[in-house]
Amino acid sequence: MTRRLFLAFIVLLLLVVGVLPVLSMLVKSLFVEGHFSLVAYGGLLRSARQWTLMGHSMALSSLVTVLTVTAGVPLGILLGKTDLPLRRFFTVLFVIPLLIPPYIVAVSWSDLLGGGGLLAHLAGAEATGAAAGLFFGLPGCVFVLFCVFLPIPILLTMIFLRTIDPGLEEAGRLVAGWGRIVKGITIPLILPGVLLAGMLVFLLSFGEFSVPNFLRYDVFPVESFTQFSAFYNFKAATAAAVPLAAVTFLLLWLESVFLRERTYQLRPSPGAGFSPLIALGAGRRWLLVSVALAGLVIVIVPLVVLVIQSAGAGAYAEALDRAGDSLLRSLAYAVGGATLLTLLGFCTGYLIQTKALPLWRSVDSWTIFLFALPGTVIGIGLISLWNTPRANLVYSTPVIIILGYLAKYTALTSRISVTQLGRIPPSMEEAAEVAGAGWWRRMAFIVAPLARRGLVAGWLVGYIFSLRDTGITMLVYPAGHETLPVRIFTLMANGSAELIAALCMIMIAATLLPAGILWAILEVMTRKAAR
Amino acid sequence: MQKIALLVGTIGVLGTALLLGGCGRNQGGDRVVVVYVSEDQVFSEPILQDFERETGIKVKAVYDTEEAKSTGAMNRLIAEKENPQADVYWANEPIRAEVLKQKGISTPFVSKQAEDIPPVFKDPDGYWTGFSARARVLVVNKGVQDRPKTILAYTDPHRRGRAVITNPLFGTTTSEIAALFTIWGDEKGREFMSAMKDNDVAVSTNNGESADFVAAGRYDFSLVDSDDAVNRIRQGTPLAMVYPDQGAEGIGCFIVPNAAVLIKGGPHPGTARKLIDFLLTRETERKLAFADCAQIPLHPGVQTPPELKAIKDLKVMQVDYAAVAEKMVAIQPFLKSWMGL
Repeated sequence: MTRRLFLAFIVLLLLVVGVLPVLSMLVKSLFVEGHFSLVAYGGLLRSARQWTLMGHSMALSSLVTVLTVTAGVPLGILLGKTDLPLRRFFTVLFVIPLLIPPYIVAVSWSDLLGGGGLLAHLAGAEATGAAAGLFFGLPGCVFVLFCVFLPIPILLTMIFLRTIDPGLEEAGRLVAGWGRIVKGITIPLILPGVLLAGMLVFLLSFGEFSVPNFLRYDVFPVESFTQFSAFYNFKAATAAAVPLAAVTFLLLWLESVFLRERTYQLRPSPGAGFSPLIALGAGRRWLLVSVALAGLVIVIVPLVVLVIQSAGAGAYAEALDRAGDSLLRSLAYAVGGATLLTLLGFCTGYLIQTKALPLWRSVDSWTIFLFALPGTVIGIGLISLWNTPRANLVYSTPVIIILGYLAKYTALTSRISVTQLGRIPPSMEEAAEVAGAGWWRRMAFIVAPLARRGLVAGWLVGYIFSLRDTGITMLVYPAGHETLPVRIFTLMANGSAELIAALCMIMIAATLLPAGILWAILEVMTRKAAR
Repeated sequence: MQKIALLVGTIGVLGTALLLGGCGRNQGGDRVVVVYVSEDQVFSEPILQDFERETGIKVKAVYDTEEAKSTGAMNRLIAEKENPQADVYWANEPIRAEVLKQKGISTPFVSKQAEDIPPVFKDPDGYWTGFSARARVLVVNKGVQDRPKTILAYTDPHRRGRAVITNPLFGTTTSEIAALFTIWGDEKGREFMSAMKDNDVAVSTNNGESADFVAAGRYDFSLVDSDDAVNRIRQGTPLAMVYPDQGAEGIGCFIVPNAAVLIKGGPHPGTARKLIDFLLTRETERKLAFADCAQIPLHPGVQTPPELKAIKDLKVMQVDYAAVAEKMVAIQPFLKSWMGL
């Protein structure tokens, strides 16, 4: 009874935090002066611009998806399944762009390729004019988002490779070479992971606001933000968000039909540690050079550009002077957000894993739907719900930022918890129950300790995504509570390139340092568990 | 165990509530002021920091982003009409201040610091007061021999395809076009816009981009804000700045002052008045003139950098900013269709 009551409370919390804001904005968009009206949506169908935007959004997301999956799956196999040297180093290297706000990558490439960029200084503006022209538009957006989302197919490929029973590949090796085994056994078995990666990349690209906005490519999230922020047309902003929600909903429905059960049961095969590695032989050196070159272009070059750009006299001192308070706030909100995300995600994950309430599947779908929605849409929803004098304890305080984090990112910590809880034999909790332990006691002393790696991983992911959030925070932050990503955005208007680059470097350090420390803790925990 | 969990939970909730309660709407009493700012943060923040240092009053600010086309703060004020969070609005042009007046979001305040600011830059009822202005100027590539001297150069057939203008749906370009409509009348205004389009004018996303295009030689000239021009000239780009329509028959140069606005029902009205007084001082205008934004002081006799003309040396376009604000709303459908939207 305690368990069901508590989990019902969690469901209610999720409703208030994430579902009500979106419903609130939807309902408000359907009424004009107290009467039901579809006028905001009429414009959506009539305007040719909406179809252009849809075309742009689809083109961007499709291209990014195809390119990341095409490059990410082979890279994932190379890093997870072969004897390529420095595999762990490359894995960490390729993950870095995913950890930092996407627009920082765009800023960096703009500093290199833009009209007054480093390349123009070196080779002359005329020689680099074409590159600069291409960068500001679809090609630039595709390239930046490719760099940012490439780790998703790489990581999911590596994770799904670990779920393959090594016996299957061993049997294959008796009659075939690795080429045929990868084609005939490995890839079909990791196909759900590849499809999941493709879907995630598509949804994240579809909802991405900051990069298309920075590179001046009109897509639906930019239109929704502009309608709200530049025209204060709340209803048009909601209408512009509807196609985003519809596409998100459609893809999630497909995922629930074809993939969901497969991803719930995502756990390493018992013999994964003994899975045979593919010997690359004579091609090993060339593949190493190719992977290193890819890492150089995708990760090292943008970082080096930022380092060079920020090397001006006093850039870091000015950056800290101007944004030191924002940095501290960002860290505090990210820590608070990550802690609450971990708790909420753990409880949600427990509900989904144990199926303790009949609503479990809906709860899973809500959280993923909210994750896939653009942050700007969630931000508009939060304002719609909480902007009243009675709710000032939420609206005029950082609570509204934290609520935004919880609404958007609970899916991440929830899915991590589901995977971790799935590895705990139900008999553990059952035995404690038989011995007379109440539910709280079982959770505190059996389930949570056994799931501690998932909790730490969930906290880390929650911290990174809270820290890098721009779309929600930019819309809802109360006066005096702006975060570092928002400060970078506002300073971009006429701020010097040196200052912006220094702020970006500080942002990267604030993300990677704690992430690195926690990663190391996770490694230690993994080794201890292995012993 | 349940009691412990309950205790920990209660302490956590109470602690959070206390922490966040301290951040509520009226927190700080007379030692805090909340300001929403449309002027670029990089220029406005140092002024607000000076105010903090001189008065000990903590400034909490919300800044606009370029992405919101500098109207995000104003729209936030409109959204919060029934639940005001801000005390002061620092608008980067008076049109936004007029919109707030018309929507009943601002309240009058006549500062003694503004007594010698020319009346054309102040609302007659005290709803907003202008200070530190940008001029709308023509930025011309130095390689162009026959430099344009009037905005009518946009319709000159000899300059077909050689001019660029910022998207007229946003920012100071919208304001200037609306101002032209109020002076010329709708018919001549539409003719000018059509002639400009027929003359193959290019459209950029913002004033900075327009100036960069001209500096790179892609176009000969563009109408931009004086700060965009001065900024780039100081960086050594091959640009010249022309104050348009200064001749005897010219309509003058459109001036875009900042505007200080007191918000109705704001949580800290006392500190709000102190901040507005501070923004309207001669010293604030001097600092903004010598900053990279290079804004023209409106108080007479304030020192200016050599690149800037003093306001008394300019032929200023004589406009009623309230009429411009109304016209701006009225011509939005025309401008959208002009843009092909």
